[in-house]
Amino acid sequence: MALKILSSPPPEPEEIARDLAAAISKALPDASVDVQIGSPGHFELAVTSSAFAGLNRVKQQQTVYAAIAHLMAGDSAPVHAIDRMTIRTP
Amino acid sequence: MQVEPATRSRIEGLIASERVVVFMKGVRGAPQCGFSATVCRILDGLLPEYATVNVLADPALRDGIKAFSSWPTIPQLYVNGEFVGGCDILQEMLADGSLFETLGLPKPEIAVPNITISDAAAQALRLLASRSAGPLHLSIDAQFQHGIYFGPSEPGVLSLTVSGIAVEIDPLSAARANGLTLDAEARAEGPAFKIDNPNAPKNAEVRQMSVTELAQRIAASERLGLFDVRTPDERAIAHIEGARLLDSNLVERLERLDKGALLVFHCHHGGRSQRAAEHFAALGFTNVWNVAGGIDAWSQEIDPNVPRY
Repeated sequence: MALKILSSPPPEPEEIARDLAAAISKALPDASVDVQIGSPGHFELAVTSSAFAGLNRVKQQQTVYAAIAHLMAGDSAPVHAIDRMTIRTP
Repeated sequence: MQVEPATRSRIEGLIASERVVVFMKGVRGAPQCGFSATVCRILDGLLPEYATVNVLADPALRDGIKAFSSWPTIPQLYVNGEFVGGCDILQEMLADGSLFETLGLPKPEIAVPNITISDAAAQALRLLASRSAGPLHLSIDAQFQHGIYFGPSEPGVLSLTVSGIAVEIDPLSAARANGLTLDAEARAEGPAFKIDNPNAPKNAEVRQMSVTELAQRIAASERLGLFDVRTPDERAIAHIEGARLLDSNLVERLERLDKGALLVFHCHHGGRSQRAAEHFAALGFTNVWNVAGGIDAWSQEIDPNVPRY
């Protein structure tokens, strides 16, 4: 079996969760964000923001995905999938 | 995330090229992932035609479409240049009925269709039912391709009992099934079911070509596509010079041809090739021919050197 030598250890899920929350808060300053850690690379998000008012469900989710796209891009992205996204307005 | 300008303009071109475009893994006839397959199955049930873009064939497009749509997963559905959603959203929209409006389709009237099962078919089905689990499922897609199979009961379908046979039919198929008759013919290899559906568009577009006419056209070096829809084993026994075996790769290529292309299909006796021709006629091809009598007629009337089998 081949061993892959990692130059730096992969980020801990807690660290990725903090990055997710920070990225969403940066894009949506009034947002309250709850991140649940799932299986490796998988997360669940609950986001409450006034920015979602008047948007349909796809547009609401696109807003969040646009904010976290850098964490999901590429083959070794820290975030593989958002298993569930809950959107609320305050 | 920024999209490369070249990729962005390609994506913009693709979503403007057709009313309904799916970015997916694989192609319509051969999806490479379950979510892409589900999206195709839903759209096949609703639309005779839509475009698909295989992102597996192009890494720049695969990453580009995710950034372009701000959507991290494939498949992705675009209608009239607008992003609609992925697999989950499409399933929800189908369930709540909003998908019809999005696709510009009338909402189907959901009513239990009137279906007839002949005595011969009922007898054959009862025998099959005794060896299978679950009701008989009947499906009819937007091209009026019919499917029947036994399987577990599914949610969200209409249930009816016809001639003692428990039948399940999904609402979209039900809207296309009223007046349908299911008949069967006993054959050595098992019953052959025949469906007569008065709602199916009449394929007057498929014309019959005699082997004499085919021979004349070939002799005149006419540019025609002659396609052999038999199995490779049959082709090894006998073939018509110049006919190409129709495999799934070739089907995909033909489907992309200009709709006026001259397409001629043959099989052993003319039955399978009629169905192949009807498939292309249903896609909008206008110059589609079936070789009446198939290669068997060719052997008898044109070229005795082609073996009969």
